[in-house]
Amino acid sequence: MSMSEQQTLKHQVTLLELVDRVLNRGVVVSGDITLSVADVDLVYVGLRVLLSSVATLEESRERISATGAGP
Amino acid sequence: MTTPAATAPLRRNDLGWYLYGVAAADETSVPLGARLAAGAAQKVELVAEGSLVGVASRVSLQEFDEPTLPERLRDATWLEEKIRAHEQVLERVLEDASVVPCRFCTVYRSEVELRRFLSERRETLQAALDRVRGKVEVGVKAFIDSDRFTAGRAKQNDDIRQLETQISTAEGGRAYMERRRLEQLVASELERFRGEAADRIHTHLLAAAEDGLALPLQTPELSGRDEKMVFNGAYLVTADRGAFEDALASLARDIRDDGVDLELTGPWPAYNFVPVELSAE
Repeated sequence: MSMSEQQTLKHQVTLLELVDRVLNRGVVVSGDITLSVADVDLVYVGLRVLLSSVATLEESRERISATGAGP
Repeated sequence: MTTPAATAPLRRNDLGWYLYGVAAADETSVPLGARLAAGAAQKVELVAEGSLVGVASRVSLQEFDEPTLPERLRDATWLEEKIRAHEQVLERVLEDASVVPCRFCTVYRSEVELRRFLSERRETLQAALDRVRGKVEVGVKAFIDSDRFTAGRAKQNDDIRQLETQISTAEGGRAYMERRRLEQLVASELERFRGEAADRIHTHLLAAAEDGLALPLQTPELSGRDEKMVFNGAYLVTADRGAFEDALASLARDIRDDGVDLELTGPWPAYNFVPVELSAE
């Protein structure tokens, strides 16, 4: 695994570590606007999109380096 | 040029307050307030109400209001930026003061509402704050390397050792069958050991912490590691973390030969050690 791949991976892991805490824990207070359970589900959908796009990017990089093509 | 007729004009009260967390007034110094105000892209303010301080930013209600929020939440870039900002603000507070972290996207439509919350829930907030005062949360994850487990710890099992001896003298089809049996035996020993290791890790670390809890295990997809996760825990520890880190280091040495590696994260605001819902007063 290259340095940049490791960094990407670390970045993703930290984000998930964060999401587990920032979205699942912490005090739920009576704000005028707060996230409902449905909202939190939405957040996970959003993050899956984000993370899968990172994975796709990594995959295409691997393909490029495997075929020796690319810049 | 077109006029965005569908967009309502900005009203004077179109700013709300995003509440990151609650801290104690006697711990939040003037210099902290100045650093928070200067540091981030989003200006952070300390809203003092009696003995409590709300750590908050003025935000555009057009950005956070209920009709638009679900759409924002689908925007992964927006989401990541806001989640990281939430954490960064709390981490900066944590350098100086204890903090009760709020859930992501807690927004008040006005300062009056924010202050009303702080005063109405003063007792429960104060109790939550007292519990985390001078403490931080750390995360500990444990992973097992199955090759190292197979080469080391698995051999403590009599059946596995015996079968290995038999295989060394067996030939052809019988050797193949017995190797398959050995693989199954090692796999079931690994399953058994995972539970044992999790108990051992939690008991050992809990003794060096104020409190602790076992969190759900993450799949390799989430953990970002190929090895199987055997334990995922969160601990409330004193802010200097000395005693806890000593306990962790000695445990890591002891358990390494069994094929288990420990990973430490944090310090975090005590997300896992504040009440999920504030009871009404």
